[in-house]
Amino acid sequence: MQSATKKRDFKSRSTKVRETSSVNENMPVIAGKHLLKIPSLFTLALFLLSFTSRVQSNDVLIYSFWASCLALLAWQGWLLKHCATQKTEKSFIVALKPQHYIQAMVHLSVYIYWGMNWQPVQDHAVLLIAQIMFAYSFDILLSWTRRESYQLGFGPFPIIFSTNLFLWFMDDWFYLQFIMVAIGFLGKEFVRWNRDGRFVHIFNPSAFTLGLFSLVLITTNTTDLTWGPQIASTLSLAPNMYTYLFLGGLVVMYFFSITLVAASAAMVMFALSALYFSIAGVPYFLDSDVPIAVFLGLHLLVTDPSTSPRTPTGRLVFGILYGIGVFVLYTVLDMLGSPTFYDKLLCVPLLNLSVQWIDRMVAPLRNNALLENWGLGVTPSKKANLVHMSIWIGFFIVISLLGKTDSRHVGDSLPFWAQACEEGRANACERLILLESTYCNDNSGWACNAIGAEYFYGNNVPQDTERALAYFSRACDLRFQAACLNFLDPSQISLANPRAFDFRLLLREAGQNLLGMPEDQLYQRACEHGWEFACDKSVSI
Amino acid sequence: MRQLINFKLRITFSVLAIVLLATQNAFAQFDVEKWSLADEPLLGFVAIPTGSFPMGSNPLIDPMAFENERWSQSRRQGIVDVPLFYISRYETTVAQFREFANATQRNVSASSLEGEANYPVTNVTWTDAVAYARWLDQQLRMASDLPSQLRRFLDEGGRVTLASEAEWEKAAKGEEGRIYPWGNQADKSKANYSSDGVVPVGSFDCPDCSFGLADMSGNVWEWTRSPYQEYPFDETNDRDDLASDALWVMRGGSYSDEANNIRASVRGAADPGARRPFIGFRVVITKQ
Repeated sequence: MQSATKKRDFKSRSTKVRETSSVNENMPVIAGKHLLKIPSLFTLALFLLSFTSRVQSNDVLIYSFWASCLALLAWQGWLLKHCATQKTEKSFIVALKPQHYIQAMVHLSVYIYWGMNWQPVQDHAVLLIAQIMFAYSFDILLSWTRRESYQLGFGPFPIIFSTNLFLWFMDDWFYLQFIMVAIGFLGKEFVRWNRDGRFVHIFNPSAFTLGLFSLVLITTNTTDLTWGPQIASTLSLAPNMYTYLFLGGLVVMYFFSITLVAASAAMVMFALSALYFSIAGVPYFLDSDVPIAVFLGLHLLVTDPSTSPRTPTGRLVFGILYGIGVFVLYTVLDMLGSPTFYDKLLCVPLLNLSVQWIDRMVAPLRNNALLENWGLGVTPSKKANLVHMSIWIGFFIVISLLGKTDSRHVGDSLPFWAQACEEGRANACERLILLESTYCNDNSGWACNAIGAEYFYGNNVPQDTERALAYFSRACDLRFQAACLNFLDPSQISLANPRAFDFRLLLREAGQNLLGMPEDQLYQRACEHGWEFACDKSVSI
Repeated sequence: MRQLINFKLRITFSVLAIVLLATQNAFAQFDVEKWSLADEPLLGFVAIPTGSFPMGSNPLIDPMAFENERWSQSRRQGIVDVPLFYISRYETTVAQFREFANATQRNVSASSLEGEANYPVTNVTWTDAVAYARWLDQQLRMASDLPSQLRRFLDEGGRVTLASEAEWEKAAKGEEGRIYPWGNQADKSKANYSSDGVVPVGSFDCPDCSFGLADMSGNVWEWTRSPYQEYPFDETNDRDDLASDALWVMRGGSYSDEANNIRASVRGAADPGARRPFIGFRVVITKQ
């Protein structure tokens, strides 16, 4: 091994190196001919992972892995030849940055807790490791193609982790996941601007690729190729997930002073939700005041220090705009008939684009003593961050005590929406239909029969007898007796109460597994959700 | 010696005659121009006249009777009046079901469409069967050359559907209440049971069978439009119990059953979403 560790000689490097962002003179440099083989070690690891039972379970997955390996090897081969021809060497600059490994550890803790409560996360672990191997190989090759050195650290970890916390593709389409990762790194490398005299990437790499893919998936109506909706709804399967994310968020807030971004976004959203509820009488978001995936996003997606404003006031504005952006996008996506879970992803790249403008906009506040006293001027301060954190902690405790976080949400209750629909409240009937349709897709015979009756009579939806019969047929196949009779003879439509099996689906509150819950507890839970007949039943059981 | 030759010739001719007869019966004719229904004046529908019949089993006559065939605590059988209805002579075939599937694009099991044209359709859910009946009802109503007898019956309130338990049982056992469609003794020459698989509909010659219907015993179980409930049978209370999981009655037994399960009174039941290689159906036109 001819590699050598040496202090980096900044002056001897070309200006290109300076473009790669925060490199300082104390970072050790590793150089040598054999280093060129390092990316192939990551590629080899990726190849070996393709022989795990998880990958071997699906042909497309295997070919996706092998195609990625082949592409990386080809690139590596070209690079080796190029270096030999040019007689150049490549090097690593070891850069272990806290914003990478601390963020990655927080991400990992979320995966572990979530995975303990949702099996697909455990199944995804191998694919997550594979993406990290791919990311390292890709990122090194990309850096070495463009310049002499690569900053070796934990950089790819938070990018892969935060991407996968919001979107991953089904096995049959998993090659798109590798493309998504690659685009994230390409965006980081090529989409740059001059900010405060340094040539740095504009977009948070994971938010960039997530935003781009969200647009493509929305416009091509191909969300079902991904686990996106399931990811967005199953985070809350883990008990007290809001509190868990809040605690993890405190770590990030403490180290990187992003409290103003996350806290202001959260506060704005809770405030807007409360305002909407007080006006409309129904929740704005279907099953929470701030959806759990949005809460995750405002802690771990939008808070990348290098792509958010530098000034405290700027960060405050940035967070407020994120909160408003998600709020507005939720309705816009709903109106377009698109899945609403993209709301938290689409506005991040736009906000990243606006950070310089935001910093400039707040610059006139430089001499405002009041704002400076509150740590909201233009000079970042560790002490002010602690004050902001304590305000955020206080706020979170209050809203939790008010039942706005981990407690049961009024929007989880179907009878609530049925009542609201009857009373003609805003969007309530649309929400009711959406919920019934969702539960029908989850195989609740009761829900299929209920929505069938809506279509049969033209209640809240355009009358459509054929569609009604299709719903009755599906409900009957799910053994819902009233639906069988409705399907057989629609001249008389019967509705019936949900069975215990239906309640195991209807009362999940965003996806809890109730399959093993004893019937008395199930009916007690149904009673709490507003199913009156269940109150008597829970007593009799 | 001559006697022996005569005997052999008689045997040979008898065998040939049986084979010829069996071949004729094995290939009941269907009309592809008319939804592949039977090529008969009434499209294969047979009128079952108004009248009563003994429903359920009497263990004194039928020692194989199951408990769920008993009419009530106090009575072994009930006398049930069934108004005129028409029942298909044959079980619904693969060809007929294929026409329906092609026309409606209903999402049916691929295995239900795989068999030979004149075999009974199998691997169909109860809802598939009801959907087929509804489709056929529409086709018959729109047909310009529908036999007048059927046209009149449809116009007077008849509809194509599955048989109720009572209709099915009456058609199978006749007004006199036989144990099997042909009489009171099991007979392997008259039905496909205790065998390895389904056979084409109408394969068995059974002139003695009630109303000339084919395969009422054996071949495939047949879905009915009756939810499974304890006797006494009463079609008006079908909507009384909506809390239980759905279970629908099927009748007639299948190729895989023994003689006790192909009796006309036997009551089977299955989950309406069940698709099985031994469950099919036949349709009726009824005003009930």
